[in-house]
Amino acid sequence: MSRILKFVLAANLIAIAVLAFVYPNLMVGPGKLIPGHKQLETDCFACHAPFLGSASERCVSCHKPADVGRLTTTGQPVLKPLTSTPFHQKLTTQDCVACHSDHAGVKRYRQQGRFNHALLQKATLDQCLSCHKSPTDSLHKQITGNCSQCHNQNKWTPATFDHNKYFVLDRDHSASCVTCHEGNNYSRYTCYGCHEHTAENIRREHIEEGIRDYDNCVECHRSADEHDIRGRGGEGRGKDEGKQGRKGRDDDD
Amino acid sequence: MTSSLWRHHILPFTFLVGLLAAVTLAGDYLLHRLNLVWVGRYLGIPGTLLIIASLVYSLRKRKYIKTGNPKKLLTLHEFGTWIGASLVLIHAGIHFNAILPWLATVAMGVNAVSGMVGKLLLDRSRRHVQEQREHFQLRGLSRPDVEQAMFWDAVTLDAMNRWRKVHIPIFIVFAVLALSHIFSIFLFWGWV
Repeated sequence: MSRILKFVLAANLIAIAVLAFVYPNLMVGPGKLIPGHKQLETDCFACHAPFLGSASERCVSCHKPADVGRLTTTGQPVLKPLTSTPFHQKLTTQDCVACHSDHAGVKRYRQQGRFNHALLQKATLDQCLSCHKSPTDSLHKQITGNCSQCHNQNKWTPATFDHNKYFVLDRDHSASCVTCHEGNNYSRYTCYGCHEHTAENIRREHIEEGIRDYDNCVECHRSADEHDIRGRGGEGRGKDEGKQGRKGRDDDD
Repeated sequence: MTSSLWRHHILPFTFLVGLLAAVTLAGDYLLHRLNLVWVGRYLGIPGTLLIIASLVYSLRKRKYIKTGNPKKLLTLHEFGTWIGASLVLIHAGIHFNAILPWLATVAMGVNAVSGMVGKLLLDRSRRHVQEQREHFQLRGLSRPDVEQAMFWDAVTLDAMNRWRKVHIPIFIVFAVLALSHIFSIFLFWGWV
């Protein structure tokens, strides 16, 4: 390699090295910083420790966890909070960079604004209404709390609860929740909440069939179809039997 | 003469460069389609390791390493740098964030093209020394010795020497820029 070529190469590489120190944001920064951190654009080590990356300790030196979502770093109230309820105070760990990235180039690899309930402290995790408002539709108006009966914490919709799996709400059973589930307890039900079924007529019908254990109605009856009777211990066992057994007889109606 | 130039130089060169571009675009498309964009972020590591591993040939050629079949090492050099370059290109994607990594990417691209030119020049040199095969065999050398002598003759032909004068500075620029990029990543990224 000729001496001139070596010199030109060295001069160019030195120039690039100098530019990297003078304009680190342009030379090595992975994209623009978020508008709130614009003044830090040329001061990489304000957030980054050499060879250790950006630690949460540096974030919380300006962003006090107790104030996040409530007050700005200058102590002013947050006028347009991103979430209706501040939740950073209730996180299990203060690992800021696990969710936040300030450079446009890094954001591309992360789903911004994706909240994971697993980050919340256990005591907060079960108190859905401390962050979420209960929906105001006719169904949810009847329910207070215990959201996890029907919804999981990954997605609100679709609800994980499939009522048809336990009892099909068709025909005459298109009733309000409280008809069968009393006191907002959806882990229990009663079939005597409507005028159609009474303890007396149910008892009489089952005794006639020689059935004495009939407390758990949905164990055999999963829909309004009077012929769809599933016997204990097996799906659909009594469908035909039910048809035969009840043929020509009046029901309780 | 013209058809020979097409068959032996222009077409193979266009094919190699075109294939590199096609593999890069296909890799980038697949990562986006499969929602695995984050994988591309780390493909620079195996790409760089492949390029570094392929430098064994350069060390062997300059006798820093005494063992290893130079012909096989050259094949490793050609494949390693080509695959390594394609991984680094997928890693770069089409995201323009900082100037230094892009300078390194451009230098790598020039380096890869230069390498492909070198490969074609070497093929031409091989054909040239093919004519000397009979001469060596007439001297009573064994077949492996003839192969070895022809290989070294091919890589030390004048055209190859002149090409190397361009290829080595391009490689040095690429190496310095790539190492600067890698250093900046180590400096600012939290690996633990």
